[in-house]
Amino acid sequence: MNPARRTRLEREYALLGAILIAPTVLIFCAVIVYPLVSAIYLSLFQVFTPTLEGSWVGLSNYRELLGKEEFWTSLLNNIIWTVGTLSLQIIFGVAMALILHQNMWFRSLARSLILFPYFVSTVVAVLVWKWLFNDLYGIMNHLLIVSGLTDFPIDYLGTMPNAMISVILVGAWKYFPFVVIAVLARLQTIPDALYEAARIDGAGPISRFFDVTVPQLREVLVVIIMLRAIWDFKEFDMIYLLTGGGPITSTQTLPLLVYKEAFKLNQMGMASTYAVAMMAIMLVFMILYIRRTRSEEDT
Amino acid sequence: MADVILRDIVKSFGSVTALRGLNLQIEEGEFVSLLGPSGCGKTTTLRILAGLEFPTSGTISIGDRVVNDVAPAQRDIAMVFQSYALYPHMTVAENIAYPLKKRRIPRGERTVMVQKAAELLQLTELLRRKPRQLSGGQQQRVALGRALVRDPKVFLLDEPLSNLDAKLRSYMRVELVELHRRLGRTMIYVTHDQLEAMTMSDRIAVMDGGDLQQFAPPNTVYREPANRFVAGFIGTPAMNLVDGELVLSGGDWTFRTGNLSVPVPPLGENAAAGPAALGFRPEHVRFGEGPIEGTVQVVEQSGHENIVVAKFANDLRITGRAPAAQVWKPGEPVRIRIDTAEAHAFAAGPNGERLNRPRAAA
Repeated sequence: MNPARRTRLEREYALLGAILIAPTVLIFCAVIVYPLVSAIYLSLFQVFTPTLEGSWVGLSNYRELLGKEEFWTSLLNNIIWTVGTLSLQIIFGVAMALILHQNMWFRSLARSLILFPYFVSTVVAVLVWKWLFNDLYGIMNHLLIVSGLTDFPIDYLGTMPNAMISVILVGAWKYFPFVVIAVLARLQTIPDALYEAARIDGAGPISRFFDVTVPQLREVLVVIIMLRAIWDFKEFDMIYLLTGGGPITSTQTLPLLVYKEAFKLNQMGMASTYAVAMMAIMLVFMILYIRRTRSEEDT
Repeated sequence: MADVILRDIVKSFGSVTALRGLNLQIEEGEFVSLLGPSGCGKTTTLRILAGLEFPTSGTISIGDRVVNDVAPAQRDIAMVFQSYALYPHMTVAENIAYPLKKRRIPRGERTVMVQKAAELLQLTELLRRKPRQLSGGQQQRVALGRALVRDPKVFLLDEPLSNLDAKLRSYMRVELVELHRRLGRTMIYVTHDQLEAMTMSDRIAVMDGGDLQQFAPPNTVYREPANRFVAGFIGTPAMNLVDGELVLSGGDWTFRTGNLSVPVPPLGENAAAGPAALGFRPEHVRFGEGPIEGTVQVVEQSGHENIVVAKFANDLRITGRAPAAQVWKPGEPVRIRIDTAEAHAFAAGPNGERLNRPRAAA
């Protein structure tokens, strides 16, 4: 409608609307837009972290990044970690959700307990796992030695590939409850009539799983995979606390590299460059996710 | 030959008994409706026939075999669900083909069979669509297609029309009857809609509280209801049921309540003097003249007739049908006559049996 022909009431509504969304817009700008722009801006400088003094270097940080082996190693680590832990989360999460969907007398208790790893703070979880993994007094090594499976304690976090496998396992343990909850919620909305129709149509338990359950879970799994891929990709605290990126840089992912560059090497400009590069990579996931949801709406 | 036999079927869910010794014999090719209010056990009966529920006791036979221990897929039945239960990720063609695929029928044969079913149900244009792209009526036809493509011995239909709008429902009623005529298969149809049951069935099984109340052709159920429940349940507006007592004098029965006294048609041997109920349909009430005097309370105009509710002495309310041309106004005094030749007498109690002498003998 032509603004000139708006009635007084319409103008008042428009003003009220603007006033109501203003706080959100301001907060959004302060906590999302400003840091984003400022990171891109910083990546064009060479900055000494403690003083935040720097000089304009243009795109040379990016040129350096492309030629830097540590960046590519960290990216590879990051991909191994993300794919590894995400796959395990999905497999265990879906399996556990299917089990918890059955009618069992301890179902509600089990459903609450399963959330425990997700609720427990990362620091506490890592401490517990470090005790379990410890080569002197850890229960895992103790059990392995007592059962005769090994003669010497295994160094879970100090050698490769043990360190990466351990990090992936702890990540899977910590985050699979998210998958359980999301899948379980979907499972509960699948109408029983579909399973009954399939039974009458001659589908056995395995057919019913692949012909009814799996197609119904597809949508929710796409969303879970997208979200968890983004979250796992930028995981910092768990890996940092568990291995600190070691041994040497074997479990160093991009977020750890950013942290090291910014606060250990005091190169805020270069750190920002890594961060922007990371964001660009995650943008690919995001675009996939957005295109996916849009195509869902279209059909 | 009986096609489906339920013998002494009892079904309990915990402390709730859904069916209390149900006996039902359905002939081959018959269209039978299971009719009753919510919770009467009609859907449980259908699910037991389908093999989706197990009876607590009793035997189920389909064809000439007992199927108590036979899996749903091997019972030679097909079921149409109230919600249609179409597989949402499959196209119409894949939905219809699914039961064939599970029976390992070769792809080529499958396509021909799906095509045939689609033609019968006018779905040919829709074969590549997904269920969510279809209207309710179309989804319903796909569900029917999935059932009939298997050529089952018995079709089980669980309130298949209840999610459709009134116009489509009356259209689908005719379609279903036509389909039944063409296929000649036994169809067992669960509904709470008496109009569906009356218009489509060869016989209606009226159920209440887990018991079979009457199993008879629609006309019989309407004109000779077995008991007071069936009398009150079948017919819109419902039959007038008046509590009072039966008096026998000089070989003739009279029904009395308050100061009202009406002659009753000949009763059978199970009749006894004492508390009873009189039932008469609204179409057997004549307005304008007669011995009973009261006041018009409510008038419902339906275009072709008027439903008139009138109040009489002792709080007695009687519903009748009056021709559309007769204009009645609430508050107006009215005289009525009850066509007692068409009246029914019932024993006392909510399920009191009908006491009239059987029609043929009367």
